[in-house]
Amino acid sequence: MPKLTVKIGSLKFSNPTELASGILCNGALLRRTATEGGAGAVVTKSLTNERREGYPNPTIVGVRAGLINAIGLSNPGYAEFLRHELPLAREGKVCVMVSVAGSDVGEFLRISSAAEDSGADGVELNLSCPHVKKRGLEMGSDPELVHEVVKEVKGALKIPVHAKFGLTDRLTDAALKAEGAGADAIVAINTIKATAIDIHARKPVLSNIYGGLSGPAIHSIAVRCVYELYEILSIPLIGSGGVEDWQTAVEFLLAGARAVQIGSAVAIKELNVFNKVARGIERYLDTCGFKSVEEIVGCAHG
Amino acid sequence: MEEKNLEKSSNHLIHPDPVLNPESSGDSKFTHEKFVFKPAKIEKITVESPKVKSFYLKANSLDLPLPGQFLMVWLPGAGEVPMSVSDAGGGSIRITVARTGSTTEQIHKLEEKGTLFVRGPFGSNFKLDANSYLLVGGGYGAAPLIYASKVLSRAGKKGVYAVGAEDSSELLFTHEARKHGLEVYVATENGSLGHRGLVTDIMNDFLRRFKFDSILTCGPERMMYKVLRQGLKLGIPVQVSLERYMKCGFGICGSCVLDPIGARVCIDGPVFDGKLLLKTDFGKWKRDPSGMRVRV
Ligand SMILES: Cc1cc2nc3c(=O)[nH]c(=O)nc-3n(C[C@H](O)[C@H](O)[C@H](O)COP(=O)(O)OP(=O)(O)OC[C@H]3O[C@@H](n4cnc5c(N)ncnc54)[C@H](O)[C@@H]3O)c2cc1C
Ligand SMILES: Cc1cc2nc3c(=O)[nH]c(=O)nc-3n(C[C@H](O)[C@H](O)[C@H](O)COP(=O)(O)O)c2cc1C
Ligand code: FES
Repeated sequence: MPKLTVKIGSLKFSNPTELASGILCNGALLRRTATEGGAGAVVTKSLTNERREGYPNPTIVGVRAGLINAIGLSNPGYAEFLRHELPLAREGKVCVMVSVAGSDVGEFLRISSAAEDSGADGVELNLSCPHVKKRGLEMGSDPELVHEVVKEVKGALKIPVHAKFGLTDRLTDAALKAEGAGADAIVAINTIKATAIDIHARKPVLSNIYGGLSGPAIHSIAVRCVYELYEILSIPLIGSGGVEDWQTAVEFLLAGARAVQIGSAVAIKELNVFNKVARGIERYLDTCGFKSVEEIVGCAHG
Repeated sequence: MEEKNLEKSSNHLIHPDPVLNPESSGDSKFTHEKFVFKPAKIEKITVESPKVKSFYLKANSLDLPLPGQFLMVWLPGAGEVPMSVSDAGGGSIRITVARTGSTTEQIHKLEEKGTLFVRGPFGSNFKLDANSYLLVGGGYGAAPLIYASKVLSRAGKKGVYAVGAEDSSELLFTHEARKHGLEVYVATENGSLGHRGLVTDIMNDFLRRFKFDSILTCGPERMMYKVLRQGLKLGIPVQVSLERYMKCGFGICGSCVLDPIGARVCIDGPVFDGKLLLKTDFGKWKRDPSGMRVRV
C-alpha cells in the first residue's frame, strides 16, 4: 500500500497507524501488532532507569467512552527491556520507537542513548504521564524544562526524537519549545487526568485514585490540540486519542497529523484494528481522489 | 463471537461512499463499558479446605462463563485478582479462592450477603468435544476442571479426575467429581490419602489402563509441564489452563504475554492447546508485575 506510506521526518511508516505507548507493551506483542495487526509503527512502553512494579490492581477500568488507567509506568527497567524486548519488537520490521519517561534530564539522556545503541528507530519522550509524580505532565507543562530535555537528547542522538505532550494550558508554548530545541515530531495527546468512582462500592476504582482517560472521550480534544499545533508548528504531528476506526483517523489527518496512534481501541477491536483503519483510510483516499496520505494532511485548515 | 461481529461490521466498510459508511456507529455493543466492574452479592460461602473457600456470586448481569474462563474480582480496599470460574448456572457463579496473599486473605474475611465486584468473563475456554477425558489438577487448579467436569457429565461423557495436594485436607472437589460420574484418583505428598507423592507419578498408570482422547490440566506450572509432556508422548491432545500476572485481564496491557510468540494469557488463553505452549517459555519463564522475566 505505497499510497499509505507516510514520512515522519527521516522515518518511514508503512501506513499512518502507530501503536500507542504502554499498550501491548512487551517485545513479542509489539512484533505481533506489526505483523498480524498491521501497524505502520510501534511505540514501546515508557521506560525508566529502575524497575517499577507500577500501582496495585485495579489499574485499568472502563468508563462510558473509554478507559481510565493508572498502570504507574511499570517496566523492568530500561536495560532489561532494551536487552530482551527490543530485539523481539524489531522483528516486526516496522519502525520501533522507544518511549522514555525520565524524571530529570540525565535519565532522559541515559535511556535515549541506550535505546539508540540498542537499535531503536527513534525515541518518544513521554513528557506527559498524568498519574506519576515528578514524571510526565509536570515536565510537559514547564516549557523551559521541555526545551532543555529535548535539546540535550537531540544533541546526543542521531535517531529522530519525538516529544509526546498531554493536555496542559501551556501545550502550544511547550510544543514550540520542543520544536525550537530540535524535536523531529510532536505526539499529541497523552491521556487526561481522570477519576472513576464505583457507585455501588462508593469508592474510587483505581488503587491510585487518579488515572489517565483515553479513548473516544478524549478524541475531539486531541483533534483540537493537533489542529492548534498545526497552525504554529512546521515539524510533523502525530495524533493520539480515541482513534477507533478510519473516520477518527482521517479526522486527525485533516487536522494536521501525518500519523495516528491507536491504544484503547485495541481492547475492543483487537490487534486487527490497525489493518482496518489503514484499509479504511486507503478507501477514503481512493473514493475522494487523493493519491497519498500526504495530500490530506492539514486539509481542514483554510 | 466478537470476531464474528467485527467481521460483520467490516462488510460495511465496502460501502463506496466513505461518508455514508456506518462502521463506527454499528457495533455499540463493543465499547469500553464491558470493562466496568459489576457488583456481585455473595449468596453462599463454603469452606473447601483449610486454605480454600468457594463464593457463590449472584451475577445475573454477567454473561454465562464457560469452563476455563475467569473473572477479574475486585474487593475495594484490598485489590483485584483473576479467579477462575468453578461452577456457573441459574444466575449464580462460583469462584474458589485459595488464601495465598493479602487480597485473597481479605476476600476470605467476607461473609454471606457481602459484595465482590467483578468483570468478565474473560479468556478462552476448554474445548469439550472429545469423548473420554483425563482431568489433572493440582491445588486450586481444580477450580476450572470441576466446572468442566460438570459440562462433560451433562453431555454424557466419561472421564477420570486426578488431583494432588500436600495433605488430604487440601484435595478439592473429589465428592463433586464423583457426583458428576467421574472416576477419582488422588495423590498426597505426605501420603495421608491415595498415592504418596505427586499426581503426575500415577498418571502413567491410568494412561495405560484407560483410553483418553483428551487431557485437561490446571495447577502448578511444573506439574502441568509434566502432564503435557506425558500426554503428547502418547499422542493425546492436552489443554492447559495457565496463570500469569494480570493487570487488565482484557488484552491491552501486555503484562501476561508468553514469549516468543506473543500470546496473551488473559485473552488468547488462559486455556491453551498444549502443542502451542511448547513453542513458548511455558514451564520456564514468567513475568513479575514490572514485566521482568523470572524463573517459573
Ligand atoms: C487466569 C487465572 C485464574 C486463576 N484462578 C484462580 C482460582 O480459581 N483460585 C485461586 O485461588 N487463585 C486463582 N488464580 C491465582 C490468583 O489470582 C492469585 O492467587 C491471587 O492473585 C493472589 O493475590 P494475593 O493478593 O492474595 O496474593 P499476593 O501475595 O499478591 O500473590 C500471591 C501469588 O499470586 C500471584 N498474583 C498476585 N496478583 C496477581 C494477579 N493480578 N494476576 C495473576 N497472579 C497474581 C502472585 O504473582 C503470587 O504468585 C488465578 C490466576 C489466573 C491468572
Ligand atoms: C493502559 C494504558 C497504558 C498507557 N501507558 C502509557 C505509557 O507508558 N506512556 C505513554 O506515553 N502513554 C501511555 N498511555 C497513553 C497512550 O499511549 C495514548 O496516548 C492514550 O491512551 C490516548 O490514545 P487512545 O485513546 O488511542 O488510547 C497509556 C494508555 C493506556 C490506556
Ligand atoms: S493482563 Fe493485560 S494483556 Fe493480559
